[in-house]
Amino acid sequence: MMKYEITLATLLADIGAFYEPKKWHFLTVNGIDLGEGKIELQWIFSKYHVKDEIVIYYAISDYETPIPSVVSLIPSAFMGEREIVDMFGLTVEGAEKGLYLDEDSLPHPLRGES
Amino acid sequence: MKKTIQIPLGSQHISLLEPIRFKFECENEKIIGVDADVGFVHRGVELACTRSFEFKQVGYVVARVCGLCAITHSLSYTLAVEKLLGYEANDRIKYLRMLMVELDRIHSHMLCLAHTAENAGFEALFMQIMADRELVMDLQEAISGNRVQFDFIAIGGVNRDLTPELTSLIHKNLTLLSEKIDTLIGLFDNNWSLSLKYKGVGVLSLEDAYTYNALGPLARATGLATDVRVETSDFPYEAIGYKMVLESTGDIYARNFVRLREIVNSIAMCKNIADNLPSGEILEKTKGKPKGEAVVRVEAPRGELFYLVRGNGGNMLERVRIKTPTFSGIPAMMEVFKGSEYADAPAILASFDPCMSCTAK
Repeated sequence: MMKYEITLATLLADIGAFYEPKKWHFLTVNGIDLGEGKIELQWIFSKYHVKDEIVIYYAISDYETPIPSVVSLIPSAFMGEREIVDMFGLTVEGAEKGLYLDEDSLPHPLRGES
Repeated sequence: MKKTIQIPLGSQHISLLEPIRFKFECENEKIIGVDADVGFVHRGVELACTRSFEFKQVGYVVARVCGLCAITHSLSYTLAVEKLLGYEANDRIKYLRMLMVELDRIHSHMLCLAHTAENAGFEALFMQIMADRELVMDLQEAISGNRVQFDFIAIGGVNRDLTPELTSLIHKNLTLLSEKIDTLIGLFDNNWSLSLKYKGVGVLSLEDAYTYNALGPLARATGLATDVRVETSDFPYEAIGYKMVLESTGDIYARNFVRLREIVNSIAMCKNIADNLPSGEILEKTKGKPKGEAVVRVEAPRGELFYLVRGNGGNMLERVRIKTPTFSGIPAMMEVFKGSEYADAPAILASFDPCMSCTAK
């Protein structure tokens, strides 16, 4: 497993330079609360036809900073983006709330402070 | 300007009893847009895994995510924790784990094929496949002691061993099942409702399979040669006779045939395991507490199941991320719906084998 740190400012450029749909299978967007208002965001890929090759691009952010969407590069990413909007209460460009949680659910249940 | 209407499919719908709702935008009978709502029964399992249970208990919690691929969930989690503990199971444990996962695949694929038959109006065949599926369910119950929530996988091994009586039962039931599957292959190939009616319906192209990151039988039905069983080195699948099953047309018919032929391959692999079980302990001691981050992929019946586990050396984990096959398959599903006839939507949906229990984990 290879992990590469990037920033939200360069996210689209970094993923755009890396991602080729016929080489890489996009697994998901993931979030991990690091505490003290920080969150690690991950974009995870596996290589087709190759054993054990996983690549994770990650960026450290806070709860308030809007996150660019990678849907223009990876059309299937909208599911993972909507999930982190619901579960961490983040803002992702173009991603609506309500994939998992209803209006009366706990807000952002996977935040450390919740 | 053409008039469009909104038509829902699910969750209180005769052809979709699962807690998911698709909202179709239709022009006459054709679907031109689709949106999905998957959160009806969200259970907060990821949160519970880090707040309510210690890492040794979580394997039994995640087994409750799904009633069809419970083994695959507990296996994925256990593999991730074992990686963090620096433990690798011996061959006997690996073989026993593969056996249960492949039995899971057989009965799950049979359930999907039964639903596909039901959606074709073939109620009697639905009943027949469900009855034949009992041969596998009985085996799983005999091996694990449970019928649905098996709790067979443990950190460091498995909780039960195979006895000579169980090996005989595996051969007896799977030989009987092979004959039933041969009959089913004939039916799905030659019966009008199951063959001609489903050819060319619900097509996902190979190009779209790449674009929307299709996985599992959905991808293999388009010719996309991806299968986690050969993309990870956690299990010696080649040694027990794994063969990748590919079709090329990407329609309902192709998806049915990927599943039918995978059942044949899984039966052969299970018999191989029963005949060539390596010696060794079935449960070994592991030391320490999980520290660091591990990712694991396992091929569930519906496709790639992904677990990410992060621990800090304590009893409680920091993060357990579960990414299920149906969750990842929804973008490709939505693409297939566009341009299809609304009347075909239930059959298309059944051929995707959606599992909302997993998705709303």
